[in-house]
Amino acid sequence: MITRFLSLTGKYFLFLKRVFRKPEKWTLFFRQFFVEADKLVISSIPLIALISVFIGAVLVIQTANNMGSPFIPKMYIGYMARESLVLEFCSTMVCLILAGKIGSNISSEIGTMRITEQIDAMEMMGVNSACFLVLPKILSATLLTPLLMLMSFIVGLFGGYLIVAIGDMVIMADYITGIRYAFNGFYVTYSIIKTAVFSFIICSVSSFYGYYATGGSLGVGRSSTAAIVAASALILIFNLILTHLLL
Amino acid sequence: MIQARHISKNFGSVKAIDDISIECFPGKCSLVIGASGSGKTVLLKCIVGLLEPDEGEVLLSDTVFNKLPFKEKKRIRSGIGMLFQGSALFDFATAEENVMFPLDFFSGMTKEEKRDRANFCLARVGLENVNKKYPSELSGGMQKRVGIARAIALNPKYLFCDEPNSGLDPQTSILIDRLIQEITIEYGITTLINTHDMNSVMEIGDKVIFLHHGRKLWEGGKDGIFHSGSEELDDFIFASNMARELRKSLNGI
Repeated sequence: MITRFLSLTGKYFLFLKRVFRKPEKWTLFFRQFFVEADKLVISSIPLIALISVFIGAVLVIQTANNMGSPFIPKMYIGYMARESLVLEFCSTMVCLILAGKIGSNISSEIGTMRITEQIDAMEMMGVNSACFLVLPKILSATLLTPLLMLMSFIVGLFGGYLIVAIGDMVIMADYITGIRYAFNGFYVTYSIIKTAVFSFIICSVSSFYGYYATGGSLGVGRSSTAAIVAASALILIFNLILTHLLL
Repeated sequence: MIQARHISKNFGSVKAIDDISIECFPGKCSLVIGASGSGKTVLLKCIVGLLEPDEGEVLLSDTVFNKLPFKEKKRIRSGIGMLFQGSALFDFATAEENVMFPLDFFSGMTKEEKRDRANFCLARVGLENVNKKYPSELSGGMQKRVGIARAIALNPKYLFCDEPNSGLDPQTSILIDRLIQEITIEYGITTLINTHDMNSVMEIGDKVIFLHHGRKLWEGGKDGIFHSGSEELDDFIFASNMARELRKSLNGI
């Protein structure tokens, strides 16, 4: 099992070496970059917005429910919801969700190209298929997903705002004071770094599993599942490492 | 000219092809025939460089292709066209964009010139008004034609076809065969085709190579195929009941 793990890791880094080559045609690279940005990041906006608004609202309700003591100011509800969102939900949870959405999309797309010989056709022409197919995905997701994280943070706070407006667990002025209280800008930077790293993991791991898919449509399904599992596990491991290093 | 000398390829303990040598000439269609699993596709992939042979060498116009450094190989590859078994058209691109794909990478043409060239190639294979259609909107025969158009876009010196007739009806198969033959003669291309379709052999087989269990058992022209003296080749040709009955009645005449 250790041998298999080391062999897989080595194969992954050799794959990355092929991916991170100078693109053969910059015009084609930029065209693919924008196509992938649309497909991977922009198309994820509705899903992430929907999840964030509900999680923001639920966080406010749960925090308010657990702060029954009259000695704790109610503004801490907004404060704690904000901290939970920025520190963990908007980066780690959003990326775990994206690992399912983007990861399966990438690995099944590239896996299908592998088993239908489309990748062979590119190699046959002398095109570096790994670079052409994967580099735009990795760069567009790594550079643009942090914007999704920022959007998720704002929409999450808005979700909290909505539930405060229609509920009676805390008054609006306290919530607004809470979300502005003791704001540490580095937490946003920390979250952006985490999101960028996690996006890199999602795209590179999913592409890797898709690129080496074998065994027809069943193989594509297997590679897709393996990609999501591996990417999710790596996100959790790197979440721990980055938190330990940065905080 | 394509020359493969003493090519062998193993997958673990399985010997896929064993000591195969072939020669193919410009303006001629050479056909590699054999049952499924006989090593046709492995041989083709070894020749085009998608697989690295364990032994032997591949010469394209007297240059040892399989031992060239990556950059040199890439330069030669722009002179190779290949039609894959399932066409291998890019799903993300229209028919026109598929044909333009090699031009995007390897020609210094302007966008207009590339579009003109793509339209010319599509017209050459008898396809018009499909430029904006995606592969999923095309029939199997049309996909093969787009595959041929893409393969000839860069004016290749060598054309490789892996089972070009698989999944096609007999009439469309003949059309595709004739198209490949016409293009081969018209542009003086050296063409190597993998097939197990005997109609193709009789239609366009300038030279026929028979593989059996990874070894070359027979080589010759299509006219000599029925008098090869090879039991395995006879079994391959007369595999169906109809062919066996026909043979029996002809022998009786």
